[in-house]
Order: sequence, then C-alpha cells, then structure tokens
Amino acid sequence: MRYGTGPEVLREVTFTLKPGSFHFLTGRSGAGKSSLLKLMYLAHRPSRGLVTLFDEDIATLPRRRLPFLRRRVGVVFQEFRLLNHLSAFDNVALPLRVAGVKESTIRKHVDELLAWTGLGDHMDARPPTLSGGQQQRVAIARSLISRPDLLLADEPTGNVDDALGVRLLYLFEELNRMGTTVVIATHSETLVSRFKNPILHLEDGVLIHQDRGEPAGGTGDPRDPRKPFGRGGTQ
Amino acid sequence: MIRRRTDLPLSRDPSVRLLPWIIGLMTYLACLMLAGSLLLSELLGQWTSGLSGTVTVQVLPREREPARQLDQRVDKLVRILQRTDGIAGARAVPLDEVAALLEPWLGGTTALEALPLPRLIDVRLDMTDAPPMEALKTMLSNADPGALLDDHGIWQDQLAGLVGALELVAGFVVLLVGLATVGIVIFATRSGMAAHQDVIEVLHLIGAEDGYIARQFQGLALSQGLRGGIIGIAMGAATIWGLGYAADHIDSAILPQVRLLAWHWVVLASLPAVTALIARSTARRTVMRSLTRMV
Repeated sequence: MRYGTGPEVLREVTFTLKPGSFHFLTGRSGAGKSSLLKLMYLAHRPSRGLVTLFDEDIATLPRRRLPFLRRRVGVVFQEFRLLNHLSAFDNVALPLRVAGVKESTIRKHVDELLAWTGLGDHMDARPPTLSGGQQQRVAIARSLISRPDLLLADEPTGNVDDALGVRLLYLFEELNRMGTTVVIATHSETLVSRFKNPILHLEDGVLIHQDRGEPAGGTGDPRDPRKPFGRGGTQ
Repeated sequence: MIRRRTDLPLSRDPSVRLLPWIIGLMTYLACLMLAGSLLLSELLGQWTSGLSGTVTVQVLPREREPARQLDQRVDKLVRILQRTDGIAGARAVPLDEVAALLEPWLGGTTALEALPLPRLIDVRLDMTDAPPMEALKTMLSNADPGALLDDHGIWQDQLAGLVGALELVAGFVVLLVGLATVGIVIFATRSGMAAHQDVIEVLHLIGAEDGYIARQFQGLALSQGLRGGIIGIAMGAATIWGLGYAADHIDSAILPQVRLLAWHWVVLASLPAVTALIARSTARRTVMRSLTRMV
C-alpha cells in the first residue's frame, strides 16, 4: 500500500484473523500500524495485493457497498474523532442513525451503553467539556453501539495514563469474550506485556512477527485456510 | 419552531448564513423579470383583442373642402359599410373624439380646429363572416378615392414582434438568474464540504452512505432556498405594488391600464418553491459528485 505516488508503507504483509480472535498490532511509530488499520476499516484501498474482509475483496468491491461493510467494523480512532458539536449521546448514536435504526431503539441502546461505560451522567455533554478518559469512553461506545464483528482500535491508550490504559484493555478483552474480533494497535510494550494475546508486529511496513503464547479469544493462526472471516495478502 | 437534527453543523457556516439573502436577491430579479414578461403578454393580449374584429376607415379631406361636404362623404361611406355583408356595424367617429385622441401630442382643441384632420369611421367586423380586406379596400376606394382602410395588421405584427423580443430578453435574464443561483449553491455546498471534511470522513467511516451525507446538505439548501425565495418574492411584490401605485397616479392617456391577474400572482408566488427545489437539487448533485472522489 502507498499514499499517492509516495513509497510503499506496507509490503509483504500476509495474515488472517480468526473470528473472535484478539490481536495486538505493534511496531514503532511510522511502522505502518495506522496504515494497516486504515485498510482494515476501509479508509483506503490497497494499491496492490489482496485484502479480503468478510469474504469481500475490498480492492474490487463497488463503492456503494462499502458502507454496509463499514457498519460491521467498529473503530476507535487515535484522536477519537468525536463530533464536537454533538452531545455524547448523539456521538454514540451516530452509527445507528446512519444505518437507519429507529429513534426509540437508538435511545434504549445508547442509554444502556453509556451507562455501562460510566457516562450515564454525561449524555448531554459535548466532547470538549469531557476529560480525555471520558472522550475515550465515548469513542469506544460509538465503536461498539452497532455490535460490530470486528473492532479496531488505534492507540486507544495513547492519551490516558497507564492505569486507565490497562482498564481499557480489560474492557476490550471482555468484548472479545462476547465474540467480537479485536485488533488493538499500540506501541506500548508495557501494556502488551500484561496480556498474552498474539501480536502482529510491523517493522518498516513489513509484518515480521505474529507469534505469542495463549491468546484470549482464538489461536490467531495467520495462515489457517478454514477461516471464514479475515484478511490476507496485504502488500 | 422545530429544528431538524443534523450531524453536520452547516447552519453556522458564514457562507450558509449569507445564502438566503443572495438567493433572495436572485429571486427578486427573477420576480421582476417574470412580472414584466407577464404584464407585456397581458398588454399585447388586450391590444390585439381590442383591435381584432375592428378596422378603421380614414377619409382624407380634399383641399379646401368644406366640412359639410366631408361629412356627406363620411355619411355615404358609413351607409355603404352598414349595408355590406360581414360588417357588424360602422360609425363615424365624432370630431371631438378625434381631437381628444390627438390632444396629448398636438395640444388643445382650438389648435386642432385649424388643421385639416382626416375623419374616421370605426368599423366592427362580423368575425363569423368577415369580408376579405382587399375586397373591402377596393369597394371603399371605388366609392370614395379619398377613403383609406387601416386593418391595424402591420402595427399589430410590429407590436407582437417587440413584445416577443422583450419576453425573450426577460426569459434569458430569468435563465441567467437561475444559473447564478445554481452557481451560488454549488459554491456554498463546496465550502461546507471543505469546512466539514473531517466530519464527513467520520460519517463515511462509520457506515454512512453518500445519500445520508447529501441529505444533510440538501435539507439545509431547501430551507435556505425557501427562505431566500420568500425574501425575494416579498421584495418583488412590494416593488410591483409600488410601481402600480405610481402608475395609477400618473394622469396620462398614453399609459395602458394593465394589472397582474390572479394567475400571474400564482406564478410569481410559486417562485420560492421553485428556488428551494433548485437549491435542494443542486446541493444534492454537488455533494454526490464530490463524494464519489472519496473512498
């Protein structure tokens, strides 16, 4: 994958995610973690190679079908990317609204999720009035509200202290136990070392390491051909 | 007032705040042009309906001809015309009526008395069985070589040509105003998209279809277009009323008495709706075209 006519930022990247697996995506800053996530949440299409998401080749998928695939992917962006003019409630409700869900259903689900993330008292607050940790939880709630099959988080612990970072990772682990496939991009080795999930390690755009102890949600075997859902051969 | 919830804070954009006023100005110009065109059309209709079915016979006075002799010639022609098939009626126009017609140009009746004015015969044709104009001309010139028949045809044709040209110009101006409105909406929509690029991207990434994003812009364009249209039509109506009021207070026989009819006002009142629909459709097309360039 490359941006415009620039150099390739990802090459020789081949892996498959098993449904219900939990992976860390590690690497130094600039290694290509965000670029790989962008391919996975369909912000970019690969310049070459094959990326398959939910059995669809995203390089050739018609543009009009991308929104339906995106609705199956929850994303926690590095800078949260909350809409500052909307309340916490409306930010979390957004994925349901774009999917055309009824307001009564939205109200019920968003209320529940915000209460679960401890933001029940901040539903009407706008993001700029919330702390970093609260904004993070709003972003996480937004990524989860539509019960995605795949959850991608780009440096979700980057703006919070270590204690909150660990709590967030436990939250992701809990989601993973409920069946969501999770990929967390982080450059914090301290945090990763506390968990035994498999690691996808990027070094200068090349995936060079994918191995580690017992995973939380699945084997994470990158070359299992039976996997019904995953991606492979990103270059 | 119920406010529609939108995901994009478009209504706070400076370009959007100006939009109703610019559209209002465009609608105002379109309203005046359209009203002018409708008035001209109405005026032409009045003139032609008044003139069709009538012809005028001019009886030219001979040199030093006594008035009584001229009256006799006129009476003779009137009698001939009244007996002719296809003529519903003929009457000699009294001299004081002729003088009144010429007064705006030539002054008071005392000045006219000294002039050898032609006498006029007003002839009403039976439109179900009107005689051929050439045959009528021949018959009249046989009866009196000084009698000239004017069927107003040339004048009517020239008038219709002039009014047609003015209507064409008005239509062209309305078209230009419409194109300018489209251009303004495209500019405002593109500015809005550029200003909220990050929000649009987030909406896309959480699964919004292009139509969902376009609806945000088109909804705003519809309301701003309607608001601008109402401003424009209100200003237009006030101007038309003012011009009508001023015309009523000008004491002149040459100014035609013409008013916009009820259906003309209905046409003008539909302008805000038309403007709003143009704005909505333009905004939607602009957004949809721009979004195809995104992944």
